[in-house]
Amino acid sequence: MKGRPTATRTMLEARASLLTGLRAFFEARHSLEVDVPAIAKAPASDPWLDSFTVKDPAGVSIGYLLTSPETYLKRLLSTHQRPMHAIGKAYRANEEGSEHAIEFTMLEWYRPCEVRPFETMVGEIQDLVESLTEYGRPEVISYRDLFESTFGVNPHRTDSQALIPFAKDLLGVKAAAQLDLDSLLNLLFATEIEPHLGNHVVVDFPMIQAALARVETREDDAVAKRAELYMAGNEIANGYYELTDPAEQSRRFAHDQARREQLNRPAIPKDEALLEALTAGLPESYGVALGVDRLLKIVTQSKTLAECMTFTGHL
Amino acid sequence: MASFSTNEFKSGLKVLIDGDPCTIVENEFVKPGKGQAFSRVKIKNLKTGRVVEKTFKSGDSVEAADVIDLDMEFLYADGEFYHFMMTDGSFEQHAADSKAVGDTVKWLKEQEVYIITLFNGAPLAVTPPNHIELEVTQTDPGLKGDTAQGGSKPATLSTGAVVNVPLFIEQGEILRVDTRTGDYVSRATKK
Repeated sequence: MKGRPTATRTMLEARASLLTGLRAFFEARHSLEVDVPAIAKAPASDPWLDSFTVKDPAGVSIGYLLTSPETYLKRLLSTHQRPMHAIGKAYRANEEGSEHAIEFTMLEWYRPCEVRPFETMVGEIQDLVESLTEYGRPEVISYRDLFESTFGVNPHRTDSQALIPFAKDLLGVKAAAQLDLDSLLNLLFATEIEPHLGNHVVVDFPMIQAALARVETREDDAVAKRAELYMAGNEIANGYYELTDPAEQSRRFAHDQARREQLNRPAIPKDEALLEALTAGLPESYGVALGVDRLLKIVTQSKTLAECMTFTGHL
Repeated sequence: MASFSTNEFKSGLKVLIDGDPCTIVENEFVKPGKGQAFSRVKIKNLKTGRVVEKTFKSGDSVEAADVIDLDMEFLYADGEFYHFMMTDGSFEQHAADSKAVGDTVKWLKEQEVYIITLFNGAPLAVTPPNHIELEVTQTDPGLKGDTAQGGSKPATLSTGAVVNVPLFIEQGEILRVDTRTGDYVSRATKK
């Protein structure tokens, strides 16, 4: 029968129990669960994210389905300056595959933190994995160590020319030569490194991949203070030591916009509300987004994401 | 020329890679939370049968291959070509060379229907039906008293294929054989 739920009863129970576990984890850490809108006036600026447009019955665009609740959580954080989390649906157009769905469940949390915010964030991600899964405490490893041990290249000091030889077997010489440094790093990391990460938090990303994370200097390299959790070869969560400087934020928006133009991707409105929140003042803080469906796949040791979704192929 | 974008990739799609007709075996969408999306594709070269992995940037497109599978009956071999005829009533004939026939030569039987893969109108591959019924042209008699279970012996079939059969099978019998594994399945019911 078409339209039947995909998930078995056992899977529905596993999902319910994971959601309960996540809520209990954050409640115990005095984080407030907040319920945010699913539609926003401006979508994420990330040049590689495609947002769905929401139109009213007259066909007039009123906004975008959220690719993550980030803009609302940061606005809340600026006003209320306290730990908060949201669990809800996020939407990403054109993302369909064995590890992707256009509609999925995302947990995102923010925590003001004055002392060692990045290390605290990494510790909290480790705590979460340790208390909610049977995988134990994830090992922390730097992007540079992984990249150097795989390719013999320092990812913070390389350029696209140096990486093309590693990508040419995957893409062909011509296509590899057309990629920029960011895409080359992504491709090589996703295909050669990520599949081998069993239970790891990868820290200190190349500056070019900073997105909305703070940039700091580590061992003479400028690094993005991002941390990503990988389990059984899957990217599960992504955390930032958050950027709080509105001027820097504005520059990154402009940079993303320029890249969108370069890549012939649709222009999008600037998230003025987020800039206002930063201008009003964001506390020193970190934020993490976690794919709940992927984590469910890991804890239930399922082969596919599809069997973990309550409904798939329903659209 | 028609082409397919990576978001149209699915298994079974026939595409042209470096001039060779290929079929997509598996398509995996790869995209980090932050960053560009790629399609990692397992592709089978229909000429060589080799499976290779290739990666495409999302949004890239590849040319479609003019490849089509058709049912055709085997007519005869003339020493150089193998002649097949469409079963749709058109009586259209196609001649396949030994490269296209490949290993299927040992399962070729007149009047049997095969799947002929045409590339740009010319036969590229010949696929036999999963099961085929063939006569045993030669096999040694099973030894009396040799009742050990699971015992088997070789038998040569009318097409030249050699399969392992149970000891009770005799010359002249018609057997049902699985062409994918080359295994004996059963005796065919007498016509």
